[in-house]
Amino acid sequence: MTNTPKAIVLAGYGLNCEEETLYAFKYNGIDGDIVHINDLIDNPAMLDNYEILAVPGGFSYGDDTGSGNAFAQKMRLSLQADLEKFVARDTLVIGICNGCQILSNLGLVPGARDVAVTYNQSSRYQCRWIDVAMNGASKSPWLQGIDRMHIPVAHGEGRFMMSEDTLAKLTDNDQIAATYIKPDGSAAQGEFPYNPNGSTADIAAITNETGRVIAIMPHPERGMFSWQRDDYDILKDTAQREGRDLPEPSDGLAIFANAARYFGVSAKTKAA
Amino acid sequence: MAYRTEVLTLVEDGRAQALEKSLQAHGLDARINVIDVYSSENETVTKDTFINSVCNPVTQAANQSHPDFDWALEIGFLPGVTDNIGHTAQELIELAGAQGDTACYSAKLYLIKGNNLQLRDIEKIAASLSNSLIQRITIKTADEFKADGGMGITIPKVTLSNQGSAADQVDLNVSDEALSELGQKGIKNEDGSYRGPLGLSLHYMKAIQAYYKDLGRNPTDIELETLAQTWSEHCKHTIFASPIDEVKDGLYKHYIKRATKEIREARGDDDFCVSVFSDNAGGIIFDDNYLITDKVETHNSPSALDPFGGAITGIVGVNRDCIGFGQGAKPVINRYGYCFADPRTSPELYRDKNRNISILSPETIMNGVIAGVESGGNCSGIPTPQGFAYFDDRFVGKPLVFVGTIGLIPRTINGKPGHEKQAQPGDKIVMAGGRVGRDGIHGATFSSVALDEGSPATAVQIGDPITQKKMSDAIIKEIRDLGLYSAITDNGAGGLSSSVGEMAEQSGGFHLELEKVPLKYPGMAPWEIWISESQERMTMAVPPENTDEIIALLAKRGVEAAVVGTYTDSGNAHITYNDETIMDMAMEFLHDGNPETPLETTFTRGGEDEPSLPEPSDYAQELQDMLGRLNICSKEFIATQYDHNVQGSAVLGPLQGKGRVYAETSVTKPVLDSPKGVVLSQGLAPRYSDIDTYHMSTASLDMAVRNAVAAGVDIEQLALLDNFCWCSSDEAERLGQLKRSVEAIYDMAVTYKTPFISGKDSMFNDFKGFDKDGNPVKISAPPTLLVSSIGVMPNVDQSISLAPKAAGDLVYLLGETKDELGGSEYYDQHGKIGSNVPESDAKKNLYLYQLYSRAARKRLISSAIAVNHGGLGVALAKKAIAGGLGMDIDLSHIDLRADKALFSETTGRILITVAPHNKEAFEKLFKKYSFLYQIGHIAYTDTLNIKNVATCDIDALETAYKAPLKDY
Repeated sequence: MTNTPKAIVLAGYGLNCEEETLYAFKYNGIDGDIVHINDLIDNPAMLDNYEILAVPGGFSYGDDTGSGNAFAQKMRLSLQADLEKFVARDTLVIGICNGCQILSNLGLVPGARDVAVTYNQSSRYQCRWIDVAMNGASKSPWLQGIDRMHIPVAHGEGRFMMSEDTLAKLTDNDQIAATYIKPDGSAAQGEFPYNPNGSTADIAAITNETGRVIAIMPHPERGMFSWQRDDYDILKDTAQREGRDLPEPSDGLAIFANAARYFGVSAKTKAA
Repeated sequence: MAYRTEVLTLVEDGRAQALEKSLQAHGLDARINVIDVYSSENETVTKDTFINSVCNPVTQAANQSHPDFDWALEIGFLPGVTDNIGHTAQELIELAGAQGDTACYSAKLYLIKGNNLQLRDIEKIAASLSNSLIQRITIKTADEFKADGGMGITIPKVTLSNQGSAADQVDLNVSDEALSELGQKGIKNEDGSYRGPLGLSLHYMKAIQAYYKDLGRNPTDIELETLAQTWSEHCKHTIFASPIDEVKDGLYKHYIKRATKEIREARGDDDFCVSVFSDNAGGIIFDDNYLITDKVETHNSPSALDPFGGAITGIVGVNRDCIGFGQGAKPVINRYGYCFADPRTSPELYRDKNRNISILSPETIMNGVIAGVESGGNCSGIPTPQGFAYFDDRFVGKPLVFVGTIGLIPRTINGKPGHEKQAQPGDKIVMAGGRVGRDGIHGATFSSVALDEGSPATAVQIGDPITQKKMSDAIIKEIRDLGLYSAITDNGAGGLSSSVGEMAEQSGGFHLELEKVPLKYPGMAPWEIWISESQERMTMAVPPENTDEIIALLAKRGVEAAVVGTYTDSGNAHITYNDETIMDMAMEFLHDGNPETPLETTFTRGGEDEPSLPEPSDYAQELQDMLGRLNICSKEFIATQYDHNVQGSAVLGPLQGKGRVYAETSVTKPVLDSPKGVVLSQGLAPRYSDIDTYHMSTASLDMAVRNAVAAGVDIEQLALLDNFCWCSSDEAERLGQLKRSVEAIYDMAVTYKTPFISGKDSMFNDFKGFDKDGNPVKISAPPTLLVSSIGVMPNVDQSISLAPKAAGDLVYLLGETKDELGGSEYYDQHGKIGSNVPESDAKKNLYLYQLYSRAARKRLISSAIAVNHGGLGVALAKKAIAGGLGMDIDLSHIDLRADKALFSETTGRILITVAPHNKEAFEKLFKKYSFLYQIGHIAYTDTLNIKNVATCDIDALETAYKAPLKDY
């Protein structure tokens, strides 16, 4: 491999997962920087230096006026053309949680502002571990080889809502990237807590038409290591009884490893 | 001209659905639409560019015709109250290119449809959704709404007209009675009203009178207000500092500070304390590169009046204590602790004799406090993995709201120790963050007195976590490491008067130019600017050559900052307003002029005779009843609302095992590429104070230590924080209880060698009001000591959760079970207090904890839970629920009747499971320990079977444990 791919991870105005998100990329051999949104607005040309754009989780503008809405407006008014140019290149974009809400408000997923990510059915913030199934038919580079993930959600507004037409279109185009499932693998069918927010069709993540832009409500970067998991104590104990070491990587890491692989970085192998 | 935009949700709205459901639970059948309202004097609020950023076209529409409704209820803020949504909307108006006055004000309009809904129903809904101290309510029928053409536009702009002089003289040449009244009620305005309590005793007032007599003049209002702030119990901790009985150097120096000093000396090279009691938080060593800091605060009085505002201000306030530690620490963990009255009760109590002002219901207080910390913590991106909720009906008038923040700071920053800072003469005083308004005037003096009718509404504030997050990120993640400031501290109680006053102690004086302080609105009196506690502000000491750079860097991050004065070595606290001197006081008098107030105490042991309760006929039912008690049942609904894994650092969280048992201890890995873990826990036992505060205190401290040790941290790696929440601290008997409490934690901490690194006190948690007949009542919170523990484990794989892992594992009880049910949950369940309060044996406990720590290092323990409130029975049940596995238990080694064996709260006990292959190594390690009992094993069944006592179905236990608060 000749050039190490670079990720730009946005920060500012209440985004708050930028450090662990950058860590996830770096762990997989991708270089990167945390860049404050105001610095990007001052110098949008810097996007040319990056292959990956990540809008991390957080509470931009405190979720005031609808989660992600105000931050999307800030980006739209000063960066819309630059973002479109970035997406048109052979790049990858990921929005996680608040980033997912921002990308949806910007219309970068599913391609226009056709999807709302809004108040949980319970109207209450939920932090809990869930299971998602990835859409095997998706062509998204982010998802290749991943069947399902056990990762956490942490949001008050994670409910995907859209018209019947949009839902049909996303389904037909395999733009629904991940759906909430029960631990036994069956569809959550809207049932709390498996579907933690009442999301339409149990949707947890969507992509744009190319699959290179993904917006995902759960947090893969909080479920990338076994010690982060809610069942870590059991996994650790079991490994000890079986006389082996517990490998550090966990489900969420694969998303970032896929980004690395897409740009030709061989998967980093951690001693297991 | 005023404009208004309404955003209507066209599809299912979770907010409306949740509200409908909650109304239904209160017997009201209604269909609701929630409409977001934005009002402004700027026309842009009606333009598409703005609307695009407040309205989601997929699910919402702006300024559309309304759906059918019977009632319209609008809730907005009163003038001057922090309106975070309005603040964001203002930024969006500016982003849309607007010029001029861009202020925007948010409100919510509820359109309500329902059969037979009466005005009183709507008023009830309004009361449940708002707080009249900070919000305005407008109610209209559909007909009125139509006739008026809508709700009308409300612009809650603050208009003040401070036409008076920069400062008024306050005449102190008056009688002692008048002096006393001035100290209590505050300075009188021309119209006869009072400006708010000074909280200065006659003793203090006379010292001030004498000082100004010597100067040959009267003080100005700002001087007197400054002294009131600086000498307040809240800031000066006079009760802990004063001579008390034979303890001439006061409780704090004699017991708490001395304990830490002796422990540090005894530990020698193993001393891990770096900064204790001298800064906004305490700091201990994390690893070669970092210190870890900790601070726990209380925000009780504000939370009684506005639970949401009080709690959010509390959590973002203690975050600032972290940001203001040393050169600035990064907040990495939040924790909480709440003491409430039973939310299922509605006691009829009033603040005023005429019974017009009711106290807030326990449910309103609980929900508001939980939501306040949710908003503050979650919006700030700080995980909140650990906390508790404790219930006693004596917290009805004044809840206790504990909030804590753990920080991470490099041990060396720019070649200097990260925890050191020093304001230098000549440094500029730079205030950064939010602007100053009238919110939070008299917060410090108000929190130092009992809550009564005259408690000021201006003391109520709402935090703005995003403004603070922007400031925190800019300072901690970018500016700190540039070395541009000499010192930094937060603006908390007392506002600038406190932060500048404290930092100026380092340089030796200051000159503040009050007209330079950025204000939220014009017209504030100088004294108000000086003592306002408006939130989200830090104060820095900045060398003059760096001020432009620092202000520019902050501006790039959307943070306002201004130079407001200069640190000097003049020895004087000097304030001018447009070049007119309005305060000129010796620093020495300001900080050390308060006269000593010797205190005297009495002490009488409380409690009653040991009861002789009939033996329960059905132990399985008795255990279920115990699990359903508020102090024992699950608080999962709190844990899931708090983001506990942001920053990717969570290891052991608030809900453990398949059965999701609410845990008392957490483990966090704050540095992603370091294996080290931070262990946190807490301990408290307020009801033991009814018998003896000495044993209340040792039990609390032991619980905080033992919880953490059980989770795998070495007792040698633990530090402690103390938070005293006392009541009626002007009474000798309460002071006697306090003295015993402080003696107790000295004794125990020194034995454990666990140093105190930070502490705080709140001494008047009393409610003074009126009952339903207008008779005066005083309700005092039980004397409460919260001990918080923080420790570092070398590798998080050493952590031990409470959930059993496998059938066949052996169950051991470590520690002796005695007839100690005085003040226990079990006695309270049967309406008794008793006498035999648990008495902790620190030496015996320490030996166990040392052995246990060794076993933890060797990974010999598979699961562990400290035996706390509710005793062994509850601990066994929690383990069974967590693991989803049966247990076969035999308690015949305990020579007590079964109910006492199950529910005694003897301290120092840990209930563990050990894998069979570790049995030999484990027992060998504990060979010399006399109180190791193998009491059974984990079984492939669905029952907790206690031999000859009870067979309990685990599902039934789980239901009993989870049912009480599941609908909150």
